[in-house]
Amino acid sequence: MNNPLDRRRFLTSAVLGSAGVVAGATALGSLAPEAVAAPMPKLDKNGIDPNFAEGRITAINGSMLMVTASDRSFHRIQLTKATSVWKLRPTTMDQAKVGDGLYARGVRMPDGVLAADALWLNIVNLEAHIVSMGTNVLHLDHNGNRLVGHVVPGTTAAVYNGTPAVRDLSMLQVGKHAQVIGAWRPDTNEVDIATVYAAAA
Amino acid sequence: MGNETNSVQSATTAETSWFCCGGGWGPCGSAGGGACGNCQSGSYMCAWPNTSDACFNITRPDQCGDNLLRWGCGHTFYVRNLCGANEIAVRIADCGPHTNYWCGERSCCSGNCATDRLLDLTPAAYSAIGNLSSGIMPISVHS
Repeated sequence: MNNPLDRRRFLTSAVLGSAGVVAGATALGSLAPEAVAAPMPKLDKNGIDPNFAEGRITAINGSMLMVTASDRSFHRIQLTKATSVWKLRPTTMDQAKVGDGLYARGVRMPDGVLAADALWLNIVNLEAHIVSMGTNVLHLDHNGNRLVGHVVPGTTAAVYNGTPAVRDLSMLQVGKHAQVIGAWRPDTNEVDIATVYAAAA
Repeated sequence: MGNETNSVQSATTAETSWFCCGGGWGPCGSAGGGACGNCQSGSYMCAWPNTSDACFNITRPDQCGDNLLRWGCGHTFYVRNLCGANEIAVRIADCGPHTNYWCGERSCCSGNCATDRLLDLTPAAYSAIGNLSSGIMPISVHS
């Protein structure tokens, strides 16, 4: 059985090198981000992984994202039809917008471009306490900061004590802790909730 | 994991999640360098529940029956997704996770399961062996 990573890497390289292979990549289908896991890369003395990037999108030129990292460094991130994109849910590259925050993993090319295997837009992972609940909304305390968590019908799921995800949020409790995987709404204190992990009531 | 002495010298299983540090966007904007002062989301780093007395008093892994040795900043763990073949090395840069919030929680992949949150990874480390959107995954970890 082929190593999916090798397959993705082949596709990424091929897409960057030849437009003619793009159709082939699409025909083979996209690969889930889980398949991205790579052999141990060479890290710098601070443990920085060159095949990973974070920051905010400052411009988009076709399928190239211009990203300013939190340390003010600059990244060019190339998306391909083989790039797995997440923004609250698995989605397509056209959902990337200027102002979005991101984490990206891929292959650093010789010219410094990161050819992205996987892209997570606005993803947050919050340890929080539930302060109050309303219709399709959770008010959260995250390290002393208030956040508004929006329940997205048809998307938001709950995981109680590690059991399979369900749509039923009725077992969430005010005052209890929760872990929220969601998508930040840029420049606000609001997130759309993908999954909330909690102890069952 | 519960009810056993766990030095994590030899490989054991646990759950892991991810956390941002060293600056960032959105809710991560207020994240600092962690308990060790050098944590960065783009580095292969981790949080460990017993880096100091103060840390232990917050995370309380003992309340889940996990008797973890004390390891300080810079200690290296080797981590593998229970459903993956690749192993990464991560260094302690922060205190966490809140193990006692999640006593008995169990995560599985392809029939391979782990219990209790004993390690948190930076986004760079977590995404090297799993999918950030999963939020939690079972791992094998050793020193």
